[in-house]
Amino acid sequence: MFKRVILQRLVLVRGAETALFVVLGALPLVEHSPYALGLLTLLAIYGVVLIGLDITVGYLGQVNLAQAAMLGLGAYVAGIAATRYGVGIPLAVLLSGGFCTAIGAVLALPALRLEGPQFALATLSFTALSATALNELEWLTNGAQGLSITRPLLLGHALDARGFFWLCIAILALVWLTMRNLMTSQWGRAFEALRDSPIATDAMGVGTYRHKVAGFAFGSGLGGVAGALYAFNFGYLQPQTFVYELTVILLLGVVLGGRKSLWGAVVGAGLVALLPNLLSSHRLFGAFSAIAFVLAVASGVRGLRRRTGAFRALAPIVATLTLVAGSFLVSNIEDWRKAIFALLLFSVVVGMPEGLMGFASAALARLFRVTPPALPPPAALDLVLPARAPDGTILLKLERLSRHFGGVRAVDGVDLAVTAGTIHGLIGPNGSGKSTLVNVVSGLYAPSSGGLRLRGAPLRGGRPVAAARAGIARTFQNLQLFGGMTALDNVMVALRGAWRVPLPFVLLGLGRREELRGQAAALALLDLVGLGDEARTRAADLTYGAQRLLEIARALARRPELLILDEPAAGLAQPDVHRLLEIIRRIHERGITTVLIEHHMDVVSELCDTVTVLDGGKVIAEGPPADIKRDAKVITAYLGADLGAVDPGAAATAPSDLPRAP
Amino acid sequence: MPLSIVVQITVSGALMGLVYALIAYGFQLTYATSKSLNFGQGELVMISAFVSLTLLDTGLPYVAVVPLGIAAGALLGVVVERAAVRLALQQKSEGWILLTIIVGLFLVSFAENVWGRDDRPFPTPIPADPIKIAGVDVTWLEISVAVGVLAIMTLVEVFKRWTLLGKAFEAVSADRDAAELMGISATRTVTLSYALSGAVAAVAGILVSPITTVGPTMAAALVLKAFSVAVVAGLQSGFGVVLVGLVLGALEGLASLYLGSGWRETPGLVLLILALAVRPTGLFGKAIIRKV
Repeated sequence: MFKRVILQRLVLVRGAETALFVVLGALPLVEHSPYALGLLTLLAIYGVVLIGLDITVGYLGQVNLAQAAMLGLGAYVAGIAATRYGVGIPLAVLLSGGFCTAIGAVLALPALRLEGPQFALATLSFTALSATALNELEWLTNGAQGLSITRPLLLGHALDARGFFWLCIAILALVWLTMRNLMTSQWGRAFEALRDSPIATDAMGVGTYRHKVAGFAFGSGLGGVAGALYAFNFGYLQPQTFVYELTVILLLGVVLGGRKSLWGAVVGAGLVALLPNLLSSHRLFGAFSAIAFVLAVASGVRGLRRRTGAFRALAPIVATLTLVAGSFLVSNIEDWRKAIFALLLFSVVVGMPEGLMGFASAALARLFRVTPPALPPPAALDLVLPARAPDGTILLKLERLSRHFGGVRAVDGVDLAVTAGTIHGLIGPNGSGKSTLVNVVSGLYAPSSGGLRLRGAPLRGGRPVAAARAGIARTFQNLQLFGGMTALDNVMVALRGAWRVPLPFVLLGLGRREELRGQAAALALLDLVGLGDEARTRAADLTYGAQRLLEIARALARRPELLILDEPAAGLAQPDVHRLLEIIRRIHERGITTVLIEHHMDVVSELCDTVTVLDGGKVIAEGPPADIKRDAKVITAYLGADLGAVDPGAAATAPSDLPRAP
Repeated sequence: MPLSIVVQITVSGALMGLVYALIAYGFQLTYATSKSLNFGQGELVMISAFVSLTLLDTGLPYVAVVPLGIAAGALLGVVVERAAVRLALQQKSEGWILLTIIVGLFLVSFAENVWGRDDRPFPTPIPADPIKIAGVDVTWLEISVAVGVLAIMTLVEVFKRWTLLGKAFEAVSADRDAAELMGISATRTVTLSYALSGAVAAVAGILVSPITTVGPTMAAALVLKAFSVAVVAGLQSGFGVVLVGLVLGALEGLASLYLGSGWRETPGLVLLILALAVRPTGLFGKAIIRKV
């Protein structure tokens, strides 16, 4: 059984990949026309560019408008290196790749702090800037006149068109392999995580920024590599090739082919390479738009049945119908090139956002059901989460900590000491500053004044990654899971100290053993919270209670010194609350210090060694739970000044806020 | 370089900068209600200018063409919102970035084929003769741009503050969900903001066309600089764009004077990237607090 699964994977997944490259590589042996060879070469080159672009567009989920510029810069670097300095192909390709990786990193440093429109704007400006530079630096690039290049040697051999095609295919295969290795490693998980929840990615110590910069730089580098091939393929470069329109065509390739998919990138590259030919013949274009129309109608009908909304179903039909009408009405299709791209892209983005390969792979997955490789047995919990002996020292100390928002003093001069190995409760009415306090401790907010120390060492606030690395892990009251990832991946991405293989080795595929160890460790933690059987379930598909528990497992993957549970029982059904209590006790047994923010007084009194009560941003009481329940100030804070008159608002929203009358 | 030339170029550049400011103001209008903006805004400027030009060719007087051109811009704004923005906003995704780019691309191609690829002059009753103000030559055209820009911005601000519809606009900008609960349709308000933004783009097109001529690519450069102005000023700040527009326009004039006309675009682009790097909320923007 086990062997069959492996064999099936090997044949279906790896077999299809191998077949793709064998067929592509063998085509020139059968088909000798230079025209077809030119198309195939272009496909390979676009394949590399699109795989690079897919990192930002697909995995990081940002609209990247700089890839055309990277292609252009790479092409010019290779062209200039070859013509001026007589550099050979291998070195030129490396130079272009390296140059664009560096440029990408520099651009990413500011640009990737940004999200959405700002990122798109920054990359758009970069494309415009690079076109200006290529045009104006005439002494280097020959400006608008264009740069002619003769193809240099490959290790002393002159390459004919076929040889050059094979070189491009070999590079595409290499890029494919390295990307696959990268995306099935911790890096791929981190990319997905930071798209789903940047806040949690930082709070889990993964480092949003570092991964974004690396991803963008790597993708840009691939653009540079493709640029070098582009230069040696065409032998002539002009600055106005690498402008906005090419950017849009590249986006079309990624989106049409299917995001987050190597197959999608290559299919998209094929379409982009074929597009000009499609527009050269009236009949071909007519047939093509008819096919597009039929597809749009089919997916529209399916969409209407599944109630995805009338717009999503009808808009692509209208757009493709316009294409069909255009193929009859317009005499020179080439003139309408941009409109055709626009209509195609529009139909795909609206009607089939998963792209051709996303669509196909869903269908294939139903047909073949390739089982994912079996998971290793869970590791021993003692290895994953070593028990600590509680030494009774002060683990976390807050000194006159304040956080103001404008005039609002959300946290106002709080002094707090959390003893190692205890469960420390933090309670208070809504708006008392609990969440703000936790956000300051976990580094999401910088304190306005005052300081915090972890094991005596001062902790600079405002940097969630730093707090996470120092040993603070947290859960979120409003769940911040990585919804698109499996439960297992959610835990794996947060594992502390598990990912030591450096990037170059990961690219070479040498991270497999580490990956298996990570899986075993994550499974042990999932077992601890009782989610061992849900390892392969997408986090978004888990029940609400299971999602809360998964957040705890993920925080434990940090092997934290201090675990902050932000209202873990909120919204849980009674049986789940009991499960939760049991889990928190087990965590306590392992000697992990826990700060528990909770509304359920019964949970607090059952678990906590010490309870701190906040009101109006200040500490109003502290002590064992039994004393807190009787504290007059606490009762006043919860029930209002008049002991009898219950504030109806507070009672309605959170009845369990009320301390049980002694 | 004689000082008078430098001053002259600075002033002309600054006046052009007001057009960037007006387009940037259009970005702010939609960003306020929906946190989205039209990446194809330049195409709205261009199409409105072409429509106005066509109307002028039919013999309609200038004063009749201006409101019609503005209406065309508003209508286009509504189309953009319906086709490219609404779905993405419903899905709470940033799909509108790509979709507005796509709509813009379509409009460029449309203009290329309907009106041709060549640049055409835009006749205007406003004389192009220069007059001397404090030793600097300023044309009536340039003055009309400045007056027009400030007038339309004032008009929109008055609308937002003093009419019921305008109050709804402000309410949705402040808190979409709360506004919905008060019975204001956020979707319709977003549509309204796109209509306003389109109208503002049309005004920009009509004002700038006599100076730049009308062509399918006339707005590509304009809109890039408008992006710079909007980002540097901050996407939330009303009149900050005017100040930044003036400065950027002046800088551009100086860049083409000292570096060569090919480098004209660079100050805007560099400023944009710098502003994003140093102060992503813009000079006049407010810092955003992430809520967890």
